[in-house]
Amino acid sequence: MNGCELMKYAIETFDLTKKYGNFAAVDTLNMKIENKSIFGFLGPNGAGKTTTIKMLTCLIPPTSGTANVAGYDIIKYPNEVRQKIGMVPQLVSLYGDLTARENAELCADYYGLPKDLKAERIDELMELVDIKYAENKMVKQLSGGQKQKVSVVASLIHQPDILFLDEPTIGLDPTTKQVLWELIEELNSKGHTIILCSHDMYEVDLLCENVGIINQGKLAAFNTPQALKDQMMAEEKSAKRSRMSEIVSEIEKKSSPAINGTIDELKGIIVDSEKENGEYREISILINNLNDELVAKMTRLPVVFEINEHHSGRIKMDISKCDNAVNDVIWTIIKNGGNITSISTQDPSLEDVFVKVTAREKTEGE
Amino acid sequence: METKKIMWMLKKDLIVLWRHKPRLFSIFLFPILMIALFGYGMGGSIENIPVVVVKQTDGPVTDATLNAIKDTSLYNVKDIINDPQRGREMVESGQVKAAILLPPDYENLTSSNSKSVVIYVDSSDQMATQALVPATQALFSQISAKIGMQKLEAMGVPSTSVQVQSQGVQTSSPLAGINFQNIMNSINFQINKIYGDIKYIDFLVPAILAMTVMMGAMMSMGESLAGERERGELARLFMTPTSVATVVGGKIISRLVIQTSTSMVLIVAAIILFGITINGSMALTILLLILSALCFVGFGIMVSARVGTQEDYIQMVMPFTMPMMFISGVFYPLETMPWIFQKIAYLAPLTYANDALRTVMLKGGGLGDIWVDVAVLLGFTLLFFALGVTRFNRDI
Repeated sequence: MNGCELMKYAIETFDLTKKYGNFAAVDTLNMKIENKSIFGFLGPNGAGKTTTIKMLTCLIPPTSGTANVAGYDIIKYPNEVRQKIGMVPQLVSLYGDLTARENAELCADYYGLPKDLKAERIDELMELVDIKYAENKMVKQLSGGQKQKVSVVASLIHQPDILFLDEPTIGLDPTTKQVLWELIEELNSKGHTIILCSHDMYEVDLLCENVGIINQGKLAAFNTPQALKDQMMAEEKSAKRSRMSEIVSEIEKKSSPAINGTIDELKGIIVDSEKENGEYREISILINNLNDELVAKMTRLPVVFEINEHHSGRIKMDISKCDNAVNDVIWTIIKNGGNITSISTQDPSLEDVFVKVTAREKTEGE
Repeated sequence: METKKIMWMLKKDLIVLWRHKPRLFSIFLFPILMIALFGYGMGGSIENIPVVVVKQTDGPVTDATLNAIKDTSLYNVKDIINDPQRGREMVESGQVKAAILLPPDYENLTSSNSKSVVIYVDSSDQMATQALVPATQALFSQISAKIGMQKLEAMGVPSTSVQVQSQGVQTSSPLAGINFQNIMNSINFQINKIYGDIKYIDFLVPAILAMTVMMGAMMSMGESLAGERERGELARLFMTPTSVATVVGGKIISRLVIQTSTSMVLIVAAIILFGITINGSMALTILLLILSALCFVGFGIMVSARVGTQEDYIQMVMPFTMPMMFISGVFYPLETMPWIFQKIAYLAPLTYANDALRTVMLKGGGLGDIWVDVAVLLGFTLLFFALGVTRFNRDI
């Protein structure tokens, strides 16, 4: 993978900006994407995600600022950049009337691959993505997943350092999705940097080491998925604390019967806050013979902070985040004759982070 | 390497054509259909217009007139009747395009009064009227001349009656001296067709060739660039380290090959179906067609440079192609149009293509006769390409 081996960053942008008239689709974007990582690039529709990708892949020039992609400046050396990158676009960009192999051959020639290497490389890639069996079929006759695989072959034919994937699994069935995810990880392990644009938070959380969320042309968040989720939890806590101190000061100022409601709210927040300090998590258990006695037993458990609801066999509760909490809960249920059908815990997801980050930016923007 | 890329476009287009037999069929059938439609529909002279003759008397003059009318291929005599009112009704009801009314005193040669032949024409049919009126006038002036001479003979002038009877009015009498035949024919009209006997179809074919090349080139460019952009196919090429000029160059070569072969088919069809002859050089004709194809492909590229979809492309190209077809002298000579249209026509590349092709194919002209047309077409082509390539949007 030549020069890219030495670089720390596969992509570095410097005040990258694209304006359409007065509207800045991408506004002084600065971000660094580590070499050989899988980077998730997120953002709501119209946030500037596609525009950024188009600039990085040299399809449109930036209005101002620039970027280094695979060590080359996108403005000064667009052809060198193009040689170093591959792209699997959202809209399958293959000639529908040509066969899978003809498409790959066309791409190989457009990337200037030597003749003796061409056939070998195509075979190798087709076997890697498992599409060799359909190589002589016209692309328009292939299924969505098969097309996407051919698109991957066409994008990798010149062994690019960086592979851009724009919504690669959109509209694919879960099995095919799984296959593509495995492929993405395999490609990454072979040294390709992967830039994954997606709206599928599960996919991003699963695959990406780093995530950037762009909103209204600016980078709204940039970190590892876990750090973003933790950060969100911390933010929620601090928001509650600040509301608490507001309420306390309100009580100090006023003293009237109307204050009772405020005091109640304060109490609730204090309870919440205490739970948070104890690192709680939400757990949901389905017990097919759930009864009041069992609920009462659970309430008394020290690791259970609060039972949120219990009906039709499902019990949702906030429990301590300490290691033995889930164990204690399950043990109690089994000891009392409860029959567990399913169990799930609920942590903040990347989706929560996404919604929160983009919503906040919007409010700030307005 | 760039050659390889350019050739890929041709290869790809040919493969696609081969896999889409109906498209292949229509590419070659369309021009033949065009030439057949224009050739048979408009190219021939007008004949067999249905007419009715109303005779109100009988006699040798009437019979001679009826025979003269029947012998003229312009008329298709549906009926010979006696009632003038009925004749008019037949025109009004659309059964015939005209009713020719011979007056009741048509046989009275000795009368010194001139006789009025009346023709009712269906003036709602422009083409029929335009053909009928002058032809009928000419026919009756001949008949009138004949009657005039018979009158003179009846007045006792000897000698030429036999001549007139046998030779008809058109030929001048070989006899010298005082000869009424000579008096009648003292003005002799002679037509010298300097390019030979050129029919309307001959006039049409060069322009139809140019027009077909124009339509083919412009329409296929829509599919070729705007269509591929719309389907995302062009994006794949633009992601590779390939210049716009190479991608566009590939498209040009590919279209040019296809357009040139359609033109060949067209020329062959015109020769076989209508027996047209190319008076000038065949090679020059083909070169002109290639140049015209290049020019219109260039126009297509210029428009495709910024549009995102095939529909947008067609919307943008239509306002140019349709008026160009009518304004650039395809069907009628440029000089017969209002002056403003003539001026606009000089802005249309098709005008120059038509003129050059007519000069070569009809008049047998060489490069020296058409250098202005060629220069203008080349100028247009370069302008279109320059604008197309520089304005071309790489965006997908």
